[in-house]
Amino acid sequence: MSLIPQLLFTGLGIGAIYALVALGFVLLIRAASVVNFAQGEFSMLGAYAMVILSGALGIPYLIALPIAVVLMAGFGVLFAGATYWPLRHRGQMPVIISTIGASIFLANTVLALYGPSPEVLPGLFDTPGFEVGGVFMDSQYLAIMVTATVMVALQFLIFEKTLLGKKLQATSQDKEMASLLGIPVALMILITFAYSAALGGLAGILVAPVLFVSVGMGAIISLKAFAANIIGGFGNIPGAILGGLSLGVVETFGAAYISVPYKDALAFGLLLLFLLVRPQGLFGEKIAEKA
Amino acid sequence: MPLLELGGLVARYGAANVLKELSLVVEEGEIVTLLGSNGAGKSTTLRAISGLVPNVSGRLSFAGQSLIGMKPEAIVRLGIAHVPEGRRVFPGLTVRENILLGGSNRRGIGRRVLEAETDEMLAFFPDLKRLEHALGWTLSGGQLQMVAVARGMMAKPRLLLLDEPSLGLAPLIVQQVFRIIAEIRRRGTTVLLVEQNAHMALSVADRGYVLETGSLLVAGAPAELWSNPDVRAAYLGGKTVAAALG
Repeated sequence: MSLIPQLLFTGLGIGAIYALVALGFVLLIRAASVVNFAQGEFSMLGAYAMVILSGALGIPYLIALPIAVVLMAGFGVLFAGATYWPLRHRGQMPVIISTIGASIFLANTVLALYGPSPEVLPGLFDTPGFEVGGVFMDSQYLAIMVTATVMVALQFLIFEKTLLGKKLQATSQDKEMASLLGIPVALMILITFAYSAALGGLAGILVAPVLFVSVGMGAIISLKAFAANIIGGFGNIPGAILGGLSLGVVETFGAAYISVPYKDALAFGLLLLFLLVRPQGLFGEKIAEKA
Repeated sequence: MPLLELGGLVARYGAANVLKELSLVVEEGEIVTLLGSNGAGKSTTLRAISGLVPNVSGRLSFAGQSLIGMKPEAIVRLGIAHVPEGRRVFPGLTVRENILLGGSNRRGIGRRVLEAETDEMLAFFPDLKRLEHALGWTLSGGQLQMVAVARGMMAKPRLLLLDEPSLGLAPLIVQQVFRIIAEIRRRGTTVLLVEQNAHMALSVADRGYVLETGSLLVAGAPAELWSNPDVRAAYLGGKTVAAALG
């Protein structure tokens, strides 16, 4: 079996998860200037929602999945109401602190309800995968990659082709001007929170069969999304996707060639390296702030 | 009934009263200009009208309806479009998208009609058709101003608020902008114009108000304002400067 293509496959699979979460993270930065440290908790809650719906309630996977994602979108609105809305005129820092608080609160609520032992959430497919040219294509990683690609394409279509997408972009670029054009700014921000939470939840459900569902998964995913965002360029959408994918690949190669337990340390080493050497990230400065 | 009426309007930013009981009227079909030096409260007046100043009291009505306490999103739907200072063209959207968004929140308007109106608007302004797909941040000052006005007109406003449209533009472009302002009025839209360039503003306006530190100094027709020594003084940045200049 050829190791390098195999590692690349696995790395891109896990990277696609980071990319999805980082995408939700970036959208909130752009639309509401919120750096959400509870982004990973969206993934954790999405996975636990799936544990309840598909595991405890026995709803078939393909029906439970959209229900869980819609529930997460609703949760995104609640989250906005609790952490962002009351503090929205107070600047960035109070909102950041409040998302850190929300992250601790959510993780410990789940800990109280489910305990520290991880839950198992099966994937969509019974077959573990198949081999192509010496590379074992794990079915769950394939599902992750396909879903991530579809979501990115869908988001591109919404942002570039629909009026709603244009309004969301206008809101993220200049809220006051958007309101002068009659764009309902508050609604646009709530939609962004809902979408961001749904995206995070979906990522959590997809990654669950690979990582197990645990209280700690939120914090790890949050930090990976944050790192992906720094690597790609803070607040940059293509950067978040590329940053997520490269983080997944670097981490996987590092685990194979250097050390498995240091996998996460490698990711943060890369983050530190970028902060020191290229703090503007791969995609450099934001076009939106040039004017 | 005047189209726009301000009566004893007070606007506050924090503890400071920026507008101190300002009263003025704009009749349908007029071009009215607000003049005054920096800090006189001209931009604040426009911002208060379009709902951007939360702390406003007194009388503020448009076509008989009070605007006090209304949000900007609702005020634009009543027929007031505000082209703010600095143009505020969305930097990451194209010229076409910027203009399109100006009309996107009118009730009951479909995407196809909106696209057709955007085409008309692009054709009406010099140069814009050619720049249709250029991103906002790549445009020059004059181009930004054209986009900002075109975007404002897409709301089909009864009243257009223009804040410093000539600021930072070359003289030739300034003349172009003022020709467009005159044409907008000829087509039936009332204009309230804030300007530093008093000469240009009074050349197109029917009436003018001169503000000084948040209150009305004097009002009248362009010719009256030109010949008023107080106006000239206010324009040079206060009476002391005028006195110093003799």
